[in-house]
Amino acid sequence: MSTNTYDAIVIGSGISGGWAAKELTEKGLKTIMLERGRDIKHVKDYVNANKAPWEFPHRGGRTVQMEKDYPVLKRDYPLNETNLDYWVNEKESPYVEIKRFDWFRGYHVGGRSLMWGRQSYRWHDVNFEENAKQGIGVDWPIRYKDLEPWYSHAEKFAGISGNRDGVPILPDGDFMPPMEMNCVEKDVAARFNAYYKDKDRHFIIGRTANITKPLPGRTNCQYRNKCWLGCPFGAYFSTQSSTLPAAMATGNLTVRPWSIVTKILYDKDTKKAKGVEVLDAQNNQTYEYYAKIVFVNASTLNSAWVLMNSATDIWPDGLGSSSGELGHNLMDHHLGVGAGGRVEGYDDKYYFGRRANGIYIPRYRNLNGEKRDYIRGFGYQGGAGRDEWGRSIPELSIGGAFKDALAEPGEWNIGMGGFGETLPYHENRCYLDKNVKDHWGLPVLAIDATCKDNEMKMRKDMAEDAKEMLEACGVKDVHVFNSEPVLGRGIHEMGTARMGRDPKTSVLNEWNQVWDAKNVFVTDGACMTSAACQNPSLTYMALTARAANHAVEELKKGNI
Amino acid sequence: MDRRTALKNLALVIGSTALLPRCTSHSSVAHFNSFDVTYDQQSLVLDMAETIIPKTATPGATDLGLDKFIWLMLDDCTKTDDQKAFFKGMGEFSDLVKKTYNKDFADCTKQEKMALLSTFEKKPGDKKDAKPANNYSKELNGFFGTVKGLTVFGYTESQYFMTKEIVYELVPGRYNAMYPVKNNMKA
Repeated sequence: MSTNTYDAIVIGSGISGGWAAKELTEKGLKTIMLERGRDIKHVKDYVNANKAPWEFPHRGGRTVQMEKDYPVLKRDYPLNETNLDYWVNEKESPYVEIKRFDWFRGYHVGGRSLMWGRQSYRWHDVNFEENAKQGIGVDWPIRYKDLEPWYSHAEKFAGISGNRDGVPILPDGDFMPPMEMNCVEKDVAARFNAYYKDKDRHFIIGRTANITKPLPGRTNCQYRNKCWLGCPFGAYFSTQSSTLPAAMATGNLTVRPWSIVTKILYDKDTKKAKGVEVLDAQNNQTYEYYAKIVFVNASTLNSAWVLMNSATDIWPDGLGSSSGELGHNLMDHHLGVGAGGRVEGYDDKYYFGRRANGIYIPRYRNLNGEKRDYIRGFGYQGGAGRDEWGRSIPELSIGGAFKDALAEPGEWNIGMGGFGETLPYHENRCYLDKNVKDHWGLPVLAIDATCKDNEMKMRKDMAEDAKEMLEACGVKDVHVFNSEPVLGRGIHEMGTARMGRDPKTSVLNEWNQVWDAKNVFVTDGACMTSAACQNPSLTYMALTARAANHAVEELKKGNI
Repeated sequence: MDRRTALKNLALVIGSTALLPRCTSHSSVAHFNSFDVTYDQQSLVLDMAETIIPKTATPGATDLGLDKFIWLMLDDCTKTDDQKAFFKGMGEFSDLVKKTYNKDFADCTKQEKMALLSTFEKKPGDKKDAKPANNYSKELNGFFGTVKGLTVFGYTESQYFMTKEIVYELVPGRYNAMYPVKNNMKA
């Protein structure tokens, strides 16, 4: 047997890749996890995690040079000097924007599990059923009950803190104790929940993958709110803190950084994949790795890239392209719309510690028979806080008294931003642009996707509802924001290799298997048939664990 | 009287400024990646920063070296056009000082400095988004805004402020959702 032969190959090491590696190795499969970028070791390589704010030369800001080097990343908050090396080198890895699409990538072991937002919400049957009921896209081949045990499995292992709120649309999970709302949030929640009692709207503490009790090898959250630098306590879920150590502990995992998977090797005789081809990003040599099963977890757009770049005589548009849906139905959550305002009183109250979490208002639109002039809905994330230093008071704008005032607690304010569901449109897609090459001479992705009428109508509600709800809770000087929606900005890319019931209209079956090659599983955001409005990563974890379990069962039965 | 003023006065005694241009009287030019800054320009920015965040019972801009932070940010984090606007505004600011007090900023009294810088600020009771009631150019207002913004930013992110004026803990270890504000408590 060649040394390049394993039981399983996992392409990618982010949230879903880490889960695939953990589940497969724990079930006894010799597994290699291929990561296109560098290695980042847990704790040791979190080089900025223990720096004080004043130790950063620009106090965390961005330089003109950084803006030149990161023309995409600079479009939103991620570009800053504190975790610059967690983001992709844009010069080496360009892509083509047919329409503006903000693609924020992390090419290293752990992927975006190191920088993710950590909000973790289950889906509801409503989310799985709406496509079929409304004739949008294709029907999900699974329902909530199929995923429910896997949600529990994922929550227990990853460690999700949250309150069992009993909100019908947002199923409760196996939570660690919730983080606490501050005094203003508690009062706003009480007013909100009383005011909207009959309308089934809820103002709850966020459910986040920050642990509030220790787990093996992990310390509970220390309220530093520096998660995006990597956590020395392992207090939030990442590949490094959670799935990777578990997979390594089995003795069954090999991790190979600097491994760009250029294609999945398809064997037309067995109608299965026999392995993958890897381009070593450092020495530019090509290697082949072989396995019984391949898990594709390269992130939504890059998983589509791997499949599309795996073209053969039989599948000229790539592995999994027979339905014509590969690369299509690209989704994200549209955001940048909401409201904020001032809260009066509470001058004698404050809080201590930096909570890496906020509040959540689950979806309430188009439920229970309501029909707006758009379909689906949105949720809000937000929080209340007290201005700290840096506020300026007109009466004291310069001088000694001003200096002293800077150290006093400022006004209380509260804000919230919407996360809206984007529909799966066939024409929102990515494809290979063979005229543009990356640093390694590989064709790049062209992305052509935009928000449409349904999203634009929804955004009106997202803005107006936010204002109305804050005002109903007594918030003063409420201001609304509603920027032009840009897909990608939600960093919740989904679609491109959707699951379905019919190989003619979908790329994957109900077990995340590629219809055209049953031993290839795609379990990252690419598999999503619709987007719902909940943050998606927890669902990827559950889907991955479920698919891995199925893969091993099928292997045992000799079916794949 | 500080050393700089003393030197200037000495220069006045020795000869007129026309014969002895200021820039040659202080040859210490600071070289940054994107621009050079004369001694007088450095002094002006430091004087302004010190007026905004003065030394009182606690350290001020000079003690904390905030001018160095301002120049670093201007050099690294400011686009070329904005840098040009900054220096244009700075020139206009020097002219404004001359026109108002018939002397340089460095030679103004503390009260004069405060009074002049206050013309860049909103009036007490003005709304949050109100503009200051002056007829200065965009560059001039922008120059003051940049110096003030970076002074305050540098101050509130300084080790002194974060450890002595407020209580910054790298590892809070806890979240107290309700914490009473005591008399003179810091944020």
